[in-house]
Amino acid sequence: MFNRKIPAAAMALSTTVLLALPAAAETFRWAGTTDPQTMDPHAVNATPVLSFLNNVYEGLVRRGPDMSVQPSLATSWEALPDGAGWRFNLREGVTFHDGSAFDADDVLFSYERGVSEPSDVRSWFASVTDVVRVNDYAVDFLTSAPNPLFPGSIANFMIMDEGWATENGAALPAREAETHATRNANGTGPFMLDARDPGIETRLVPHEAWWDTAEHNLTEAVFTPIGNPATGLAALLSGEIDFISPIPLQDVEQVEQRDGFKVLAGLETRVIMLGFGHDHEALKYSEETTDENPFLDPRVRLAVAKAIDVETIDRVIMRGAAEPASQLLPEGLSGYSEEHSERPEFDPEAARALLEEAGYSDGFSFGLMCPNDRYINDEAVCRAVASMLARIGIDANVNAMPVRGYWDELRAGNFDMYLLGWSPGTFDAEHPVRFLAHTPTERLGTWNFGGYSNERIDALLAPIQSEVDPVARQVMLDEVAGILQEEVAYVPLYTQPLIWAMKENVDVVQRPDNFFMLRWVTVN
Amino acid sequence: MVGFILKRLVQSVFVMLAVAFLAFSLFRFVGDPISQMTGVETSLEDQARLREDLGLNDPYFVQFARFTGDMLRGDFGYSFRTREPIGEMLLSRLPATLELGVVALLVSLVVGIPAGVYTALRPRGILSQTILVGTLIGVSIPTFVIGILLIFLFGVQLGWLPTFGRGGTVEIGWWRSSLFTAEGWRSLVLPALTLGLFQLTLTMRLVRAQMMEVMRTDHIRFAIARGVPWRSIRYRHALSNTMIPVITIIGLQFGGVIAFSIVTESVFQWPGMGLLFLESIRFVDIPVMSVYLVVIAFFFVLINLLVDLLYVAIDPRLRVRESV
Repeated sequence: MFNRKIPAAAMALSTTVLLALPAAAETFRWAGTTDPQTMDPHAVNATPVLSFLNNVYEGLVRRGPDMSVQPSLATSWEALPDGAGWRFNLREGVTFHDGSAFDADDVLFSYERGVSEPSDVRSWFASVTDVVRVNDYAVDFLTSAPNPLFPGSIANFMIMDEGWATENGAALPAREAETHATRNANGTGPFMLDARDPGIETRLVPHEAWWDTAEHNLTEAVFTPIGNPATGLAALLSGEIDFISPIPLQDVEQVEQRDGFKVLAGLETRVIMLGFGHDHEALKYSEETTDENPFLDPRVRLAVAKAIDVETIDRVIMRGAAEPASQLLPEGLSGYSEEHSERPEFDPEAARALLEEAGYSDGFSFGLMCPNDRYINDEAVCRAVASMLARIGIDANVNAMPVRGYWDELRAGNFDMYLLGWSPGTFDAEHPVRFLAHTPTERLGTWNFGGYSNERIDALLAPIQSEVDPVARQVMLDEVAGILQEEVAYVPLYTQPLIWAMKENVDVVQRPDNFFMLRWVTVN
Repeated sequence: MVGFILKRLVQSVFVMLAVAFLAFSLFRFVGDPISQMTGVETSLEDQARLREDLGLNDPYFVQFARFTGDMLRGDFGYSFRTREPIGEMLLSRLPATLELGVVALLVSLVVGIPAGVYTALRPRGILSQTILVGTLIGVSIPTFVIGILLIFLFGVQLGWLPTFGRGGTVEIGWWRSSLFTAEGWRSLVLPALTLGLFQLTLTMRLVRAQMMEVMRTDHIRFAIARGVPWRSIRYRHALSNTMIPVITIIGLQFGGVIAFSIVTESVFQWPGMGLLFLESIRFVDIPVMSVYLVVIAFFFVLINLLVDLLYVAIDPRLRVRESV
């Protein structure tokens, strides 16, 4: 029906022919707000790209519906003696979409490509010192220190065919100008790229020679980016698309009430929290308190935590779909501290008392930075937080802005308090410690905008990363969680919901990392 | 005549330079492209290197000079977001925008001119009043809302027309057209109506006002006195005199239709240049935004030029003056 190349003379005739084509029954059409920017698995480390490409390319390991680490292109893996690294035993008989065979050379090539300068996925291999080919179907990843979580941390490291990439001049990811791999793909995954029209439509067809048994029943899958939420909703309700993610919270009721549609509302692995300017000597956006920063006092930070009624925010703004959070990662992920699962109780009286104790009984005003298009109802949440804080006498001036300028402002330190959402890419508690709690350096603490610094946490990060014994590791993670809670480094608010809408006859698996995997889709 | 056209084309270069300059200075406040191009885990040193590689650390005037220099050599650069060549990107999106704009314009003319004539000739008729009030409502509701209303009525409730996209397209060389399939036309109806509605109202009111004025002029009165048939008076003498200012305004408006189809394209996920521009803003894709604005400026200049030429063709007095 689309993009047929025909001579102009045959046009009148073809119109009728095109009309006569019946629509294939198992064509699955789905939509999301963002088009994957590239088909290159090493060029952009962002969810829209990685989620989409996980249908086309595969890693050595993959994650199951419950985020568990499963064999994929590697059938098994074991730690090398003395924590020297990991050996991956590769699957035999796997072919790429173009028919060429998969072996250790492709893994080595993909590794070199992944750590090359133009790659955006280099951070996954920060601990890797070398990759050694053992034989055609075994590869060793050598690490500078024992790295117990390494296999799970490279679940999105996708393997590209060496021959295909070099022949097409795509040995390196695109930096300025596109390469062949930007709009074409050749993976081993369950779906093959059939047609790519950036920003308009991308078509996938099943890979018949896929090594695993297909659980889906699709003959074709078509992705369309629809940026406008109202248009996306209309496209679903009119039946033109089968699935859309996400839909706005306020539209959930409308979809659920219609016959033939359903909503899947689970929790994303993203915790929404408030951060403070720990290294700011004075407030930047206060009308009267210009010579000091009250948030340097942990009692004031605790007062903030106690003043915010997360239950109410959840009920009113998130329509009950969120889940209050106590730590920088959601409950249930590996390394989550059961010991510290209590969040400060909502108690405005106690909050006021804490402020008084800290010498701010008259309150003060400050600036609260907030994105308005990044998280679900983010600006509304900030306004609610501001009104709750006003009740204990501190006035937040909410400054909400689009996310495209937001990180820049935070990096420049232009805030007194800010809203941040964090989803741990490795689904482990070490991730937020590395990015949010460690003292900021070039590679660590890169999202710790407030410059929070604690020597004990800094000292614990490396042992946490290399501890092989899960019990000893958890003890250290518990200690970190305890310090963060005691010092109120951040105020975790809630775990954000994930809202997908689809036709009644579509069955999907909602993975909490917001990846949409076609291999689990069935259309009845 | 040739001199006139050349002079206008030279002027257009300055217009485009000015637009590029303004656009460039504004884009620095849109946001940070680097944080949109990289993932959360990318280290600060990698970000800094990318910033350096893309020349974002250079002073503003250096960046501007590089941009204009490349443009003059026909090198439009690459998108930050998709790394595609921008010339190719815009060219592939151009047919969608032009077809939508032209069909919207045709809708506005085919409906607007007869409606304008009718309401001018029967100013007190019930139908005239209904049309006038109806278009007033149409023009006071924002395009965005009209689009959504049309989608929910015809797309969701009645299920007659598609809610988004271009439907079936046919490629003629590089031009991807939706004018040759029924599916394509079905997809075109709602966006063209949405985009053409404002234009339609404007055309109608302009024709009406002009027509009423012309009908009061001396030569029409004399024609009536001479007993020229009403049909001839209305459509041959009055209407042709009405059309001169109407054409000017419509021509100028067409530039606006092309440039401001952004909203309509966004509501209908219509894959034209406007949608591309919106996506580019979201991702702080500075090169695409800059080239888009320069191209739109070029369209405006070109359309102005065409209107001037058309004006000469229609109004015999201008031709006479020139030959003297």
